[in-house]
Amino acid sequence: MGRRYDEVSLITSRICGICSPNHALTSLKAIEAAFGIHVSERTTLMRKLLLYGSFLQNHATHLYLFAAPDFVGLPSVFPLAQTHPDVVDRALRIKKLGNDLTTLVGGRPVHPITAVVGGFTSEPDMGKLAAFRELLEEATNDAAQTVELFDAFEVDDLVTTGDMFALSASDDYAIYDGETTSLDHGWRRPVTEYRSVITEEVVGHSNAKHSTADGRPFMVGSLPRVNISGDRLGAKARAALDKSGFKIGSRNSFHNNLCQAVELVDVCERCIGYIDQLVDGGGSSVPVQFDVVAGSGVGSSEAPRGTLYHGYSFDADGRVTAGDIITPTAQNLANLEADMRVYAPGVAHLPEAEFLLAIERLVRAYDPCLSCSVH
Amino acid sequence: MAPRVVVMGLASDFGCQVQMTNIEDDLLDVLGLIDLSYWQLASSGHMPAEYDVAIIEGAVTTTEHVELLKRVRATAGVVMVIGACAVTGGIPAMAGQGDLEERYGCVYGADGAEVACGRVSPAPVKSVIDVDYEVPGCPMDTTEFLRVLSRALQGLANRVPEEPMCAICKTKENICFLDKGEICLGLFTRTGCGARCVTLGRPCTGCRGLAKDANVESAMKILAAKGFDVDEVAERLAVFNTLEEAFCR
Repeated sequence: MGRRYDEVSLITSRICGICSPNHALTSLKAIEAAFGIHVSERTTLMRKLLLYGSFLQNHATHLYLFAAPDFVGLPSVFPLAQTHPDVVDRALRIKKLGNDLTTLVGGRPVHPITAVVGGFTSEPDMGKLAAFRELLEEATNDAAQTVELFDAFEVDDLVTTGDMFALSASDDYAIYDGETTSLDHGWRRPVTEYRSVITEEVVGHSNAKHSTADGRPFMVGSLPRVNISGDRLGAKARAALDKSGFKIGSRNSFHNNLCQAVELVDVCERCIGYIDQLVDGGGSSVPVQFDVVAGSGVGSSEAPRGTLYHGYSFDADGRVTAGDIITPTAQNLANLEADMRVYAPGVAHLPEAEFLLAIERLVRAYDPCLSCSVH
Repeated sequence: MAPRVVVMGLASDFGCQVQMTNIEDDLLDVLGLIDLSYWQLASSGHMPAEYDVAIIEGAVTTTEHVELLKRVRATAGVVMVIGACAVTGGIPAMAGQGDLEERYGCVYGADGAEVACGRVSPAPVKSVIDVDYEVPGCPMDTTEFLRVLSRALQGLANRVPEEPMCAICKTKENICFLDKGEICLGLFTRTGCGARCVTLGRPCTGCRGLAKDANVESAMKILAAKGFDVDEVAERLAVFNTLEEAFCR
């Protein structure tokens, strides 16, 4: 509160070092909505690359470093590097590619420097950007193998309790922009209405608030996105999905990991397209001129773990008078707890260590983020 | 025996632990030199009873953190803090300015009495225990981290650059933001980042903390003479350095 508009993305990016580009860009979108700023097509393309770089980095890290050790019965990635070096190599390749892409466009892998209100302070070297094309082609294969790997892992049966929400758009697999969409009810609502869609309440056992919609918990993330926008995935991602055992409309939360892998394929395909447009296309990413005015704005995007909302109000000097942020992990918590209540009785007969591992596996399917959850 | 290392996080965004995972090319080499006994971000294990080096990210925000740090100091031969939150209190420290309880009420409302108990005003690790090595910055730079870690493992002295960022920025041939009428905090901020932000077209935000060699009083005079509002400069400096009391006008 009281901070200047041009400090907002600097500060809110620090909510989460794990998906910082998402926080930075979502807050920029909210500020731009408040001031009535329209950014150039080139700026939008560069922002998409930043977001997708974050997806590559996050999904690869989660799938291989955190989730995969579970499925092969190891406590962490370090022994996995001994037993399955090729798998860990593949993980580090995808993760590094995501980081390198974010670094080229944003200046560094964590907390992008160049993205500001209205545009970018610096353009990536187009030669270096074009060189990513080939790396992304290779990564598409790595990603397709990731889908196969996670499709081969057996997961328990589970039917989630809540609804599933994701941004969607009629012409795109919505990540940067879209409308809040309910899988069960089929409605689409503009993100400016997020406060009336999502109810947050303080619960005694957690520092994080719990979210519900119409009194029901709901899930956000890769599974809801694939369920809602699966027909708008790229051709290769769709082929990988169809080859797997996954059926669109699944309500099994454990399938979130598989859907993250499918999104890795989609991200590689899309980034190649964006790079071609940036390298061949003209336009400018220099910040557009704007006037600071009193007003309010909402920004939203899909972060790796689900829909992220930022809302701010500003006075005529451009100082923040109100701010509100709802992170994906906070939205998921009520549904995760509801899932645990459904799932735990079925595994309660297991010895304690195995029981705990089963519950942890469910938690990791949601890919919860410690840093986001407490905000 | 390889030194036993633990990595833990207090209140932070995990960005510096993420930066540790971002050393893809060298990560496995570094792991060969140490016995990584515990890493909060990357393993489902628990803290061991004994270890040699503690790497700590994040600001102190709870009484639990204070107790943990005292135990860590009693156990570890070497304490290394990484990132602005742990080094200067960073962005979390802003929450401690003004009425902490009022801010808490603003987030959790009147029903929030039960949650986030044992809170203390956010502070850097050095405010609770002695610190041996520092890697400043938000986020920390991975190359600097490896350099400081290897100094720590070899028992060499902590050596953080103490001259202001402008000294390095000039060698990058950047056009000075102050001459373009934009506030830049390079005169105050300790160098070591290679002037990365300014080189990419964005003014310095002071994330590495105040440089010991910075002449704050004189820097403020220069800024005032160039027509900048010194109150605004101090406000911007406070984003990462609200507890760095050295800054005064």
